[in-house]
Amino acid sequence: MLKVRHSTALPNLMTLSLPKLSEIALSRAILTIALLVGVFLRVWQLNAMGYNTDEAVYAGQAAAIAGVPVLKDIFPVFRAHPMLFQFALSVVYKVFFSDLLGRLLAVSFGLGTIYVTYQLGKTLYGRLPGALAGLFLALMPYHVVVSRQVLLDGPMVFFATVTVYMLARFGKTHKIAWLLAASAGLGLTFLSKETGIILMGSIYAFLALAPEVRVRIRDLVAATVLMVLVIAPFPITLMAAGGSSTGRNYLVWQLFRRPNHDWPFYLQTVPPAIGVLVIAAALLGLVLLWKERSWREKLLVAWVVVPVTFFQIWPVKGFQYLLPIAPVLAVLAGRLLGKGAQAENEISIPGLGKRLSIHPTFSWLATGMIVLSIGLGSWQRIQPETSSLFLAGTGGVPGGREAGTWVLENVPESARFMTIGPSMANIIQFYGQRRAYGLSISPNPLHRNPSYEPIVNPDLQIRQSNIQYLVWDSFSAARSSFFSDKLLGYVNKYHGRAVHTESITTQDEQGNAVLQPVIIIYEVYP
Amino acid sequence: MIRRNAFTLALLLLLLAGQFHTASADGETQTPIKHFVVMMQENHTFDNYFGTYAGADGFPEGTRMPVDLKVPSAGYVEPWHLGNTTITDLSHSASTLVEQVNGGEMNGFVSALNRRNQNGRVAMGYYDDRDIPYYWNVADNFVLFDRFFSSAKDGSFSNHMYWVAGIPPNGGRGEEMATYLAGVPTIFDRLEESGISWKFYVQNYDPTITYRDLGDVGNRASQVVWVPLLNFDRFLDDPELSSHIVDLDEYFQDLRDGNLPEVAYIIPSGASEHPPQYPATGMRFVKNLIQELTRSEYWDSAAFMLLYDDWGGWYDHVLPPEVDEYGYGPRVPALLVSAYARDGFIDSTELDFTSVLKFIEYNWNIEPLAERDTNANNFLTAFDFEQGPRQAVFLPLTRGEQTTLKKAPTNVIYSAYGFALLLSVLAIGFAFFSRKAKVGEERVA
Repeated sequence: MLKVRHSTALPNLMTLSLPKLSEIALSRAILTIALLVGVFLRVWQLNAMGYNTDEAVYAGQAAAIAGVPVLKDIFPVFRAHPMLFQFALSVVYKVFFSDLLGRLLAVSFGLGTIYVTYQLGKTLYGRLPGALAGLFLALMPYHVVVSRQVLLDGPMVFFATVTVYMLARFGKTHKIAWLLAASAGLGLTFLSKETGIILMGSIYAFLALAPEVRVRIRDLVAATVLMVLVIAPFPITLMAAGGSSTGRNYLVWQLFRRPNHDWPFYLQTVPPAIGVLVIAAALLGLVLLWKERSWREKLLVAWVVVPVTFFQIWPVKGFQYLLPIAPVLAVLAGRLLGKGAQAENEISIPGLGKRLSIHPTFSWLATGMIVLSIGLGSWQRIQPETSSLFLAGTGGVPGGREAGTWVLENVPESARFMTIGPSMANIIQFYGQRRAYGLSISPNPLHRNPSYEPIVNPDLQIRQSNIQYLVWDSFSAARSSFFSDKLLGYVNKYHGRAVHTESITTQDEQGNAVLQPVIIIYEVYP
Repeated sequence: MIRRNAFTLALLLLLLAGQFHTASADGETQTPIKHFVVMMQENHTFDNYFGTYAGADGFPEGTRMPVDLKVPSAGYVEPWHLGNTTITDLSHSASTLVEQVNGGEMNGFVSALNRRNQNGRVAMGYYDDRDIPYYWNVADNFVLFDRFFSSAKDGSFSNHMYWVAGIPPNGGRGEEMATYLAGVPTIFDRLEESGISWKFYVQNYDPTITYRDLGDVGNRASQVVWVPLLNFDRFLDDPELSSHIVDLDEYFQDLRDGNLPEVAYIIPSGASEHPPQYPATGMRFVKNLIQELTRSEYWDSAAFMLLYDDWGGWYDHVLPPEVDEYGYGPRVPALLVSAYARDGFIDSTELDFTSVLKFIEYNWNIEPLAERDTNANNFLTAFDFEQGPRQAVFLPLTRGEQTTLKKAPTNVIYSAYGFALLLSVLAIGFAFFSRKAKVGEERVA
């Protein structure tokens, strides 16, 4: 199929040589569609499900900064992460507090990323590849799912894409102003989430591998100084809070914590989320357009390889950690297909020494297939969850908000909860505005997230009525049957009485709809 | 004409009577309080527990107590913080109180105990929020009474008798007492007659310990003192009446099952705060009782009152009013928790244990038992029935700010992150709008 030569017999679905004006119009149309579809996929049933644990934590932090009553006494302002997103959300919360607003802010960063991806593609390869890149990102399940959530990764990817865009401008102009802009962008990337600093490795790798992009040492120093200045709020605010040890504790914990996923985790979860066809198009583009390689591809490939390598080695793995590579892969895919849509461009096959011409129709068909596959993938992923299992970072937790709201409305103020793990504890704290402690949190500081408070003697705490409610949830139980059993043991020992249950409808083996409890709240009586 | 007017007047009176007689056997009440729980703890004065509570009538400036009334040079004892100091059961007989009050001088609290070979200095000791944080939290959030007097210038039994019957005992013991009490109505008789549900919850209740059998029960004999009904033959022999005296476990069960009676009396046993026990155990116990009520279905319609039966030998600076030959005795701590209780209110209404009877009689429209409860003040001032029921709250066992979180320097956060954002916008904006950068791009492109 790939070796189809240009033939006049094929219908001229697209103009063989897109006139400049129509290319502009077509690109604008695609970009408009990308933004519209991007909005639709990101706001469709956006708040149908409540926050997951990470969302609850970040929104709780923002609420604490904004001084939202009760929540400011429950959620610590300072955790391990910098707080650019929480800072922005806190400004919103100063005006109005709602979980929907947090997600809308995340969505706006997502839409911004689509537009910046377009600009990145346009800068490197022209309008049409840029527009296609924007469209791919708009439809990409990976980006759709993450940018619907109150996570730090969405804003981080926005600023990371701004950074790579600034670098692209620098690569084209060699003007230090763009390098400085890129360093500011990288600073904001770090301020969104500290893992963004990994991309500094991408930048240095790019500059090292692309001698055609010359940088004077003094320019590099100036850019580094600017980046440090932008990053400075993180340590400054930590020190102002007297919590400089928090960062150290977190680092120690991250270094010594056990891996949370097996090594093939990213291989299993990320390619389907990005879209196998998108990745294939990106890789194929690198191969087929090998002769046209320049500093541009070095920049994009460095932007992909460094974080992928780092997070593959790093013991802690998270579904959304590789999101910064998504816009870049979209640009690489847009590069091939955008180029293929322009007939005057021929493609050479390395090793064969032949130049092939791909009919634009093929490119548009391939584009259509990609759009259809990732679009359907996104559509499926944004449907309300019907599973009693849950992968962190993939969306809201079924029943979490409802359980928390029940707590808020029915449980005395200052009541204390014990959950299986910290995940449900965060959700109960955010929506229920009551303190909750995860049973699985280790009393050993080396084995727990420093932000979490362990229950040193759960039995005693229940016996002394310092903890009055226990919460079992299927998501945490699936991850730790030991602590699930332990918690249910306390339920039995202390005459637990189920006072509230959240259920979801699933299907049994015969395909019949059945209600399955996912969250059960027990009152205990010592 | 006169007859017609008289008839009209009688009709009006009937109508009026009907208008005000809203509480009846069907459980109607004069207030939104449908369930009243009152607990009697043991042996502390107001100053002993709340003498340093801000805003309350606590220790006056310069309080000090002579060590020996007859020897001024023996010195004085000022109020001092007891903390974990080992305490003893201070003498709290009627004769001790007479010496402590010293004809109204209120200056014999130390010397009276010294004369009884006790360490009189202990009487001037006090607890505060470091020792009884939960009670102080209750005071902060609900109602603290600072003019609540024990009913009798005497110890436990007299005061418990006022609590249930509005009269003192006759001084007799055993059969003699029982014979006397046969003709004494209690609030529970009234409730029974009116069809109003009631229970007397007793911690570690042992139905075999009554006035009839105090042979070898040791300290458990206090059950008969603290549950005066166990001195009444009818409450022992009538299965219907005796079935209302139950173990405290039933309190928790009743709350869970939705069977809380309309009137509930509670007395402790092992969790008594009677010296030499530290207050902490009793405080935890009371916390649990209140906490369970708070999270039950009754929160919106209940009130919980905590009282202390007598002064226990401790100092209190307020001279008890003389209402009759038996009372009042010194002030005791008293707290009220309810969805309708005022928030952080110090109620200075003059009250005593018969005020409890007064409230029950008023709320359920029951006839008074005796002169004392007829004349007693009600504590309706502690409630605000205009407000909707307050949100239920679990008060903590610790004082101060209920968070271990560090106070966030939000101004620093806003300034620092705002600066970073501004700096970045300037850097990126400069690149976009810098002519040189754009020209360069055009040239290279």
